[in-house]
Amino acid sequence: MTDLETILFVAACLCSALATLGYLLSLLMKRVQQARVSTWVLAAGFALLSAVLVLSVFHTEGLGGFGSRRFLTIYAWALAGIYLGLQFKTKTRVLGAFVAPVILLFLIAAAGSGADRNLVPPAWQGWLTVVHLVLAIAGEALFVLASAAGAMFLIQNRLIKSKKTGSMIRFLPSLGDLDRINGIGLLWGFVLLTFGMVGGAIWAAFVWEGSWALDPKMIWSLAVWAAYGILLHQRLAIGWRGHRMAAWSCAAFAVFAVSGLVIRFCLPTVHSFI
Amino acid sequence: MIVLVGLNHKTAPVAVREKLFAGCLDPAGLPGDILSIAGVREALYLSTCNRIEVVAATDDAKSAAALGAFLADQGGLTDEEAGACLYVYFDDDAIRHLFRVTSSLDSLVMGEAQILGQVKDAYRQALKTNATGVALNRLMHRAFRTAKRVRTETGIAANPVSVSFAAVELAKKIFATLAGKKILIVGAGEMAELTCQHLLGNGAEEIAVANRSAVAAQTLAEKFHGKALGLDALDGELCDADIVISSTGAPSYIVTEPMVSRCLRKRKNRLLFLIDIAVPRDIDPAVDSLENVFLYNIDDLQGIVDENVKNRRREAFKAEAIVNEEVSNYVGWLKELEAVPTIVSLRTKAEGIIRQELTKAESWLGGMENGDREKVEALVTGIVNKILHAPVAVMKEESAEFASQDIVAAARQLFRLDD
Repeated sequence: MTDLETILFVAACLCSALATLGYLLSLLMKRVQQARVSTWVLAAGFALLSAVLVLSVFHTEGLGGFGSRRFLTIYAWALAGIYLGLQFKTKTRVLGAFVAPVILLFLIAAAGSGADRNLVPPAWQGWLTVVHLVLAIAGEALFVLASAAGAMFLIQNRLIKSKKTGSMIRFLPSLGDLDRINGIGLLWGFVLLTFGMVGGAIWAAFVWEGSWALDPKMIWSLAVWAAYGILLHQRLAIGWRGHRMAAWSCAAFAVFAVSGLVIRFCLPTVHSFI
Repeated sequence: MIVLVGLNHKTAPVAVREKLFAGCLDPAGLPGDILSIAGVREALYLSTCNRIEVVAATDDAKSAAALGAFLADQGGLTDEEAGACLYVYFDDDAIRHLFRVTSSLDSLVMGEAQILGQVKDAYRQALKTNATGVALNRLMHRAFRTAKRVRTETGIAANPVSVSFAAVELAKKIFATLAGKKILIVGAGEMAELTCQHLLGNGAEEIAVANRSAVAAQTLAEKFHGKALGLDALDGELCDADIVISSTGAPSYIVTEPMVSRCLRKRKNRLLFLIDIAVPRDIDPAVDSLENVFLYNIDDLQGIVDENVKNRRREAFKAEAIVNEEVSNYVGWLKELEAVPTIVSLRTKAEGIIRQELTKAESWLGGMENGDREKVEALVTGIVNKILHAPVAVMKEESAEFASQDIVAAARQLFRLDD
């Protein structure tokens, strides 16, 4: 990382920390104004991260310098980008209170992992790897968003059912919008992850010729893909909507987040760079 | 001085308001008539369904009685009625009352938005007939400013205070947008109709009316360009609708839990919002425990409204503080319009200029003998006083005739005394 990249990266971290703080404050005070400002701060953070990523592509040849730090940064960047993009479609500023902390966590993890550790092995570098990684990361980010929307749906659903007066119902996004984001997240997450995994598999078939199938990270990814596929099927074909969809998305996310962390830190995997 | 004479829904019964309203049917000519009252220099006439008021800038308090008599005369009020219903406010109180009216703090439904537009219309009318001058123009602009501040800085107009609007707000929190949503009205009632109207105003599109009496269903359906059904078609219609408003006089539940749960699969779990405004209730409360179904009865909605009314009262305290601040701002400005302070500040300014210029000229004045120096100073002061003499004299003359405000305002502007 060059000095400029470091400065931009730190600024982006600050932006996402500020945005997280603003969103939480907005939850606490039940005012949308803070969330609205935080969305702009997060947008600034997103722009800074984009600059960091563009610079890092210029400064490294191929995937040579790409390791944990950059992939975690790409995670944060994709999540922020997708969330901000959705803000054009639906007014769900407050949802940021669930998304911004995740972005911040990714950035902290990125800062914590050394720039030169866990690099992608030189032999694996190729355009198919890039496609595989970017698509898989974007797909997983969309699942995160779908689950965040699901979690907020559960809260708002409970508030409306309890018929509590008070301003919290007014402050949280509408059930319709949250359900819509859940649907968009599942659908596009599934599509991107499918292409990402196919890309990875094709590439691995060429390079490893068969010995790759038992990597824990791959099995985990396949499980995530299958589970979200089932959820998507229930949604589109069976007509699961609203509450049940939200509850299952949250449950799936919780299971996969925990198992993903266990795999990442406890088991040997060829995907150690991510 | 500023005088406000009038009556509103709190002081006058509707019969009296009616009489006065009928007597003032030609608001365009009124400001002219009011201006012809002795001592009234500027006037504005405000009439809404809840109040009739005249705001005027007058020479003295005597004009207030004449204004009251004028209003009573217009409406053909008896002395007794006029005495009981008409209120008269002077200066600070009059200004405060006007600001409170414009900010909707004095309205029947506190925080309603209409009144500001009505006051603006009244002002436009007064402008057209040239009935306002320096004092009222400034006063009205301040009133509009106050209303705007109250609206943006407090939550007085934030949340609905009627059951039908509360239902619309909830519907928006469930569906995000009402565009394309289908409404089913069960039974007929004024409240159901009103709620339906608000939902339509917010984008809902299709309407179906189910009623025991086919004729009643037809009448209501035609009004909203919807379709009419018998109660037996309720089962099928429940599967289609997004929002159901129920207000029949039936003694038992018309929509039961099995009916709704049968529909859920057919609906593909689309969200369903049921509004039960009937007493006794039309919809089985057990329906609320179904997934993606939300049931609100009249008490639930009233609870939201009560809470919002309470909030508005709380916000009204903040609003009163803003009003008080704006009143003291305006009164401060008005006082400055009196001649004496303006003459004093004009003289102070002139003396300041003389002193400043003499200090600047110190380098060559210092070389003079004492006697010469005093002569120069006397000369300069003399010239300045001569120049100031005419404007000061005019201000004094005009203020003796209680007509100084225009000239004082002009002087303050010409000599930049407010900077």
